[in-house]
Amino acid sequence: MALWGRMLWALFSGPRRRGGTQGWAFSSWQPHPPLAGLSSATELVSYWTGVFEKRGIPEAQESSEYIVAHVLGAKTFQSLKPVLRTYPLTPQQLKCIQELSRRRLQRMPLQYILGEWDFQGLNLKMVPPVFIPRPETEELVEWVLEDVAQRSHAVGAQGGPLILEVGCGSGAISLSLLSKLPQSQVIAVDKEVTAISLTHENAQRLRLQDRIQIIPLDVTLEGSWIHLLPWGFMDLIISNPPYVFHQDMELLAPEILSYEDPAALDGGEEGMDIITQILMLAPQLLKYSGSIFLEVDPRHPELVSSWLQSHPDLYLNLVAVRRDFCGRPRFLHIQRSGP
Amino acid sequence: MRAWLRRGSAQCLWARWAARPARRPLSCGGRQLEELFASGGPLRTFLERQAGSGARAEVRRPELVAAAKLLSEKERELRETEHLLRDKNEDLRKLAENEITLYKKEITQLKHQIFLLLVPSEETDENDLILEVTAGVGGQEAMLFTSEIFDMYQQYAAFKRWHFETLEYFPSEIGGLRHASASIGGSEAYKHFKFEGGVHRVQRVPKTERQGRIHTSTMTVAVLPQPTEINLVINPKDLRIDTKRASGAGGQHVNTTDSAVRIVHLPTGVVSECQQERSQLRNREMAMKKLRAKLYSMHLEEEMSKRYNARKIQIGTKGRSEKIRTYNFPQNRVTDHRINKSLHDLETFMQGDYLLDELVQSLKDYADYESLVEIISQKV
Repeated sequence: MALWGRMLWALFSGPRRRGGTQGWAFSSWQPHPPLAGLSSATELVSYWTGVFEKRGIPEAQESSEYIVAHVLGAKTFQSLKPVLRTYPLTPQQLKCIQELSRRRLQRMPLQYILGEWDFQGLNLKMVPPVFIPRPETEELVEWVLEDVAQRSHAVGAQGGPLILEVGCGSGAISLSLLSKLPQSQVIAVDKEVTAISLTHENAQRLRLQDRIQIIPLDVTLEGSWIHLLPWGFMDLIISNPPYVFHQDMELLAPEILSYEDPAALDGGEEGMDIITQILMLAPQLLKYSGSIFLEVDPRHPELVSSWLQSHPDLYLNLVAVRRDFCGRPRFLHIQRSGP
Repeated sequence: MRAWLRRGSAQCLWARWAARPARRPLSCGGRQLEELFASGGPLRTFLERQAGSGARAEVRRPELVAAAKLLSEKERELRETEHLLRDKNEDLRKLAENEITLYKKEITQLKHQIFLLLVPSEETDENDLILEVTAGVGGQEAMLFTSEIFDMYQQYAAFKRWHFETLEYFPSEIGGLRHASASIGGSEAYKHFKFEGGVHRVQRVPKTERQGRIHTSTMTVAVLPQPTEINLVINPKDLRIDTKRASGAGGQHVNTTDSAVRIVHLPTGVVSECQQERSQLRNREMAMKKLRAKLYSMHLEEEMSKRYNARKIQIGTKGRSEKIRTYNFPQNRVTDHRINKSLHDLETFMQGDYLLDELVQSLKDYADYESLVEIISQKV
């Protein structure tokens, strides 16, 4: 049986495919017969951890814990009640765990396997190939929240800010800002239809659909910003644009490379393609002294700073760089200061 | 604060007195409150000093003085009305009886009011708290019991309509609990919960025991008040935050799901971890909450142990090693050793609703009594 499994594995894990279809294509394929003798959550976690480790699947234990917890209705194995850990699982639950683990063997990201993930305090639906929000981006949102709090404190401004998000993906940034800023309004744009519909769905799930405009828009197309003028000038532009240097793309893990939309990752030669697009359209859309908050690659603060110096006509200044929780310069605050 | 008055306060007070065998054997009725307020007793003397010019301005409390004044007025009126009971006119006697009932009720209420005014509230009473449960001696049985106690407190929080959030949870193989912590918040949460800290002992035949012998196992509860922003300021430079993402390029370049966070407070070496949530930021917030509570109780400890050294009900580290309660399953009994009070419906008690609340109330009343005695025996 082990040999049989290995042969099939070699067959299916051969050339990498993109778009995430591979995980769904072989749902009748069962690398493992029904697991006789294994019945409790704890036993299944250690069984699948062993399988994942043998197959070189990253985060073997985390993956099996998340899958088992998910099937038992908990978010993390840590939060699973003790009685549920030792209680025998039903045949349906066992089958479900097996099916989800099978997808993990194909290097599908766990967030796609579970079909959901958490960002800030929100539970968001995740669908391939829409970009999966990373923990760093939670800090970008925190920074914006701090800034908004300070600003409204200083000015005593009425009503919340009007915010534009470029490249909304699953809607993580926009929706977490809306949930924390009850007075705010968000315009969320993305060029991918899958992202637009996922943001719609997540907004509905969280009952935030009334304060968000979700618009299919490609900011790299000339004059695209004109479509945003009807909404008025923005207080803030926020984005986690694709910022991976093109030559680094092939170094990404199979989870990312085979399943996530490369358009949400690949930032061109210096990772600056979309960043510069955002900076060029910002002056048309931002209020005077409005702000841009960006998540970038650690090499970008310098690159962006010198790019801005060579474009004085944009009247944009890099006013602050913040490090992420690993100490890498990751976030930029750019302010408009001119006509 | 007046919950006390609403729910049969007299009964509580007697329970408290009854629990002091050395001082006073169990006895009936409202005599104990009367005794506390006995004329010529220390409380009366204290109130007179408060009312008189003897008290220094900064320790005089107008509310208390007013209540004490009202009390003596009502008591005088009562005495006067009592003469009417011997009147020949029956209608007048009836009227007097009614009046007397009314006066007595008012007087009892005033005494309670004075009692409450005298009991000092703690700086941390209104704070939220961190609850920590840890299995003690007794192996798997102790871990099973720890899990039951943790559930009991979760239900108690629901009963009191407090917010309950599990911060960490380390189970044992057979469905027990090694260690867990939770953040609990709500109106006067710490004020109620602080008496739960200490060693809890269980006596029963464990599920794992084949010969039907009764075992004794223990678990420990710690209750730490959560500091407010003002109570405790931590310098971010003193913190080291560890995550699994520390190596590599980070950001869009990686997609990891391990969201566990560990925070080290460098000057003290205090460590706090959380892997309860999928969101790393939430884990960090929860770990931070726990770290702050740990640092805050270290800060409070010294001061507290000085203040409460002499008391029977201990809070903080000193109380954590004290055996406070026994859960005896064969006898269906729970006994709190600090006030020597037993309740005889263990199953209901473990559901964490009104019976646990009743015991907490008795402990609170007892602690109030102790602090009151402390205050009236101080020189004004």
